[in-house]
Amino acid sequence: MASNQRRIFLRIILAILVGMGVAMGLVRGFTEAMGANSQEILGRVLEGQHGLKRLLAEDDGDLVMVYGSSMADAGFGPREFDQHIRDLGGDVSTWNFGFGGLNPMFQEFLARRIVDDLNANDRRLKLLLIEFNPFQATKTRRNRAKAIEEPYMSLLLSGDEIADRILEDPASGLRIAEIRYLRDGASAEAITTYLLAEPFQEGAADPGIEEDEAVEARLDEVIDAYFPKYEAEFPEFADCDWCYDWKGGGPLRSERSDELIALMEEYYALVQADYKMQLDRLNRINTSGIIELDFDEDLVVAFIEMVNALKQIADNTEIILLPKNDDWIVNPPEALARLQRVLERIESETGVRVRNFQKIDAVTNDMFGDTTHLNGLDGLEAFTKFLADEYAHLLIDAPGDQSVLPN
Amino acid sequence: MVFNTPIFFVFFVVFLLIYGLLLVQKRPRLYFILVASLVFYGAWNYRFIPLLVGSSVIDYYLALAIAGAATVQRKKIYLALSVAMNLGVLGLFKYADFALESAASFLALFGIEATLPTLSWVLPVGISFYTFQSMSYTIDVYRGDMQPRRGLVHFTSALAFFPQLVAGPILRARQILPQFHELPVPTWEGARHGFLLFTSGIVKKTFADLLAAPAAVLFDAGGPVSLIEAWTGVLAFAGQIYGDFAGYTDMAIGAALIIGFRIPRNFNLPYFAVSPVDFWRRWHISLSTWLRDYLYISLGGRNQRLRNVMITMLLGGLWHGAAWTFVAWGFFHGIVITATHWLGSLRLFAGFAGSGSRVITTLKWAMTFYLVLVGWVLFRAHSIESAAGIVANLHTFSGLPEASVVDLRVAAVTVVALIYMHFQDWFVIARGERFEQKPWLFWPMLVLLQAICLLVGAPSSEFIYFQF
Repeated sequence: MASNQRRIFLRIILAILVGMGVAMGLVRGFTEAMGANSQEILGRVLEGQHGLKRLLAEDDGDLVMVYGSSMADAGFGPREFDQHIRDLGGDVSTWNFGFGGLNPMFQEFLARRIVDDLNANDRRLKLLLIEFNPFQATKTRRNRAKAIEEPYMSLLLSGDEIADRILEDPASGLRIAEIRYLRDGASAEAITTYLLAEPFQEGAADPGIEEDEAVEARLDEVIDAYFPKYEAEFPEFADCDWCYDWKGGGPLRSERSDELIALMEEYYALVQADYKMQLDRLNRINTSGIIELDFDEDLVVAFIEMVNALKQIADNTEIILLPKNDDWIVNPPEALARLQRVLERIESETGVRVRNFQKIDAVTNDMFGDTTHLNGLDGLEAFTKFLADEYAHLLIDAPGDQSVLPN
Repeated sequence: MVFNTPIFFVFFVVFLLIYGLLLVQKRPRLYFILVASLVFYGAWNYRFIPLLVGSSVIDYYLALAIAGAATVQRKKIYLALSVAMNLGVLGLFKYADFALESAASFLALFGIEATLPTLSWVLPVGISFYTFQSMSYTIDVYRGDMQPRRGLVHFTSALAFFPQLVAGPILRARQILPQFHELPVPTWEGARHGFLLFTSGIVKKTFADLLAAPAAVLFDAGGPVSLIEAWTGVLAFAGQIYGDFAGYTDMAIGAALIIGFRIPRNFNLPYFAVSPVDFWRRWHISLSTWLRDYLYISLGGRNQRLRNVMITMLLGGLWHGAAWTFVAWGFFHGIVITATHWLGSLRLFAGFAGSGSRVITTLKWAMTFYLVLVGWVLFRAHSIESAAGIVANLHTFSGLPEASVVDLRVAAVTVVALIYMHFQDWFVIARGERFEQKPWLFWPMLVLLQAICLLVGAPSSEFIYFQF
């Protein structure tokens, strides 16, 4: 009798385990087929994490790191920076760790891995510039990122941190473990949001801004011409988002052909069309609350904690704000006051100087690729040179010269 | 702990391993069910475990006292204690703040500014379900409908039984208590049906979560909406609440069946109802029969039907939540049921009410469904004013929206989802047994449906009825 009972229960348990195993296998197959995997979701971040390990093993120079958002990714050229410092008589090795789509909470998870890696290799950074991107720390941004919090955490937390989370909050911890180990970062929410239920997601209504068909048609032509040309000129870099040999940046102007540069220039001119900038501005308002800058307390705290962790691994640390396109992004006085309060708080709670480069003479509003990001030619070059000039005194050894800002 | 999450999967497998493979004797199994149920409940908030266990212990001994009381007077006192204790707990946690805030608003109408202190207590999940379940036991014993059964652990285990603890169905002691004395062993056929029900529930829950977005466009947007957005939103909420609640109940019944316990069905194709009374025979059957047996009949039933229906439906509305919108929802259904009875009694409509012709049945179905949808507006809206605005929107032609995330495509998908969920339920009821006997089709289909739900379902979404 007892053995019969056990046999039934065993059959039930096997049915559950085998059924769920096959179902999970199908899920993994579906997500892979749709390209929804960790590489697709956080490819640049994962490549950057991998690249950090490699550079710590291979690069024994004085390390400089710019850590921040997509604005740092787009607007800072590490190899250009190295060149400027060389021209000024110094010798550093600079890396761009700017990643799009990461709010300060996600950046903080990633920062833990960077600290772990540097400590494990007993290395320090000569200079660390941490970008504070105001619109990445707003309540709007946080709310928009809710659905991706656990998938991103699943990819950014270490195995030990996931285990700790399972003990602290089993429901959330197991979800994160499932997303990481069984779904390769592609959560159900992410799939639902991006693939199957797009029409059900609440979004901004059509703002009624008319597109210029001639601009759109030409833009399509330029894009169609640009990518094959780019891939032909740099075939070995076609598949990387964060390219080790470019130190997380892109090719230098001198490495590109005139034709490629002409295509880039035309591309930037076209995307600066008035209606496109209007649409981009509205998108930033809807997704980031970029005008009102209503800061999210958790994100501000996460940023402060991140700075406090990262400053331990650098000889010199500063927090910087990248240039702002004030033709399009005009904050009311209340928003600017909120920003000022947050910056003062960050400075006081981290002890790290905040440098606001939102308005500098070196960068003009026509150097942007949209309403927020510097373009990859004039904008990147001007701002990178500006930073090199600004921080050269910390990087070029002079007799008796020591760090200005020891941490 | 929610059924459609990885943590429940781990919990359930571990439960089955210990319950089914390690334990064989009845008594250790009984104790283990209780412990597992308390772990399940405690995963949400362990501080409320004493409340659950305390209610159970008090009602268990009060039931024994009622049965053993020498006089009717004494029986009444013990029953009153049980009812007062259960309603008192419910009132304190669920309705105290609502009453105080309503009193302050009422006084404000007369220009009296009263700042009454509120408790702001967390509402223990499932409290409305287990207090009603526990109370039905003492009432049944008082009425002589069942004899009290000895075994405090049996009673507490039955009340805390994890599949149905947090969102029902509201079981009667006579349905579940004997099973805890017997501790049934699952059959493979029963477990197989349990898997089918569990999967059916997950599919419905997945649809419910997807339909939440178009429903929110109507109910949470706050701004003006077009006719199509209004109808899509109401239909989406009808689908969401059905998929969410019926989905949860299917999973509860399925999980119980997998371990050998039988829990009666709580929904029977409710949107196929052809009258408001019929709707309540099909929707949340365990609550509507509870209200009928313990409230409506206690009030006198058909004697003074108008009064009794209105009181029953008003309290039924209030059971769902401490807000005037729920009261209005109950009131609306009370009026609709009363009007149906009255119209049915008129000679003019007698033929219509009793007709079985397809045309008239379709007409009755359409009218019933329309009334149910209007009721859902009251249920879901943030305020009665907002509900009135939405009902007005439903009847104001404003053309197709020029710019909206809700278009005809979303409307079509919403309708298809609503129809699919009912088709699936009909299939499980009418064809489930035959389907289960085709393992080459049954298991692949179940796995495929689970995979699709895992792929697109949002496992962190809570169930709407947990808040009740």
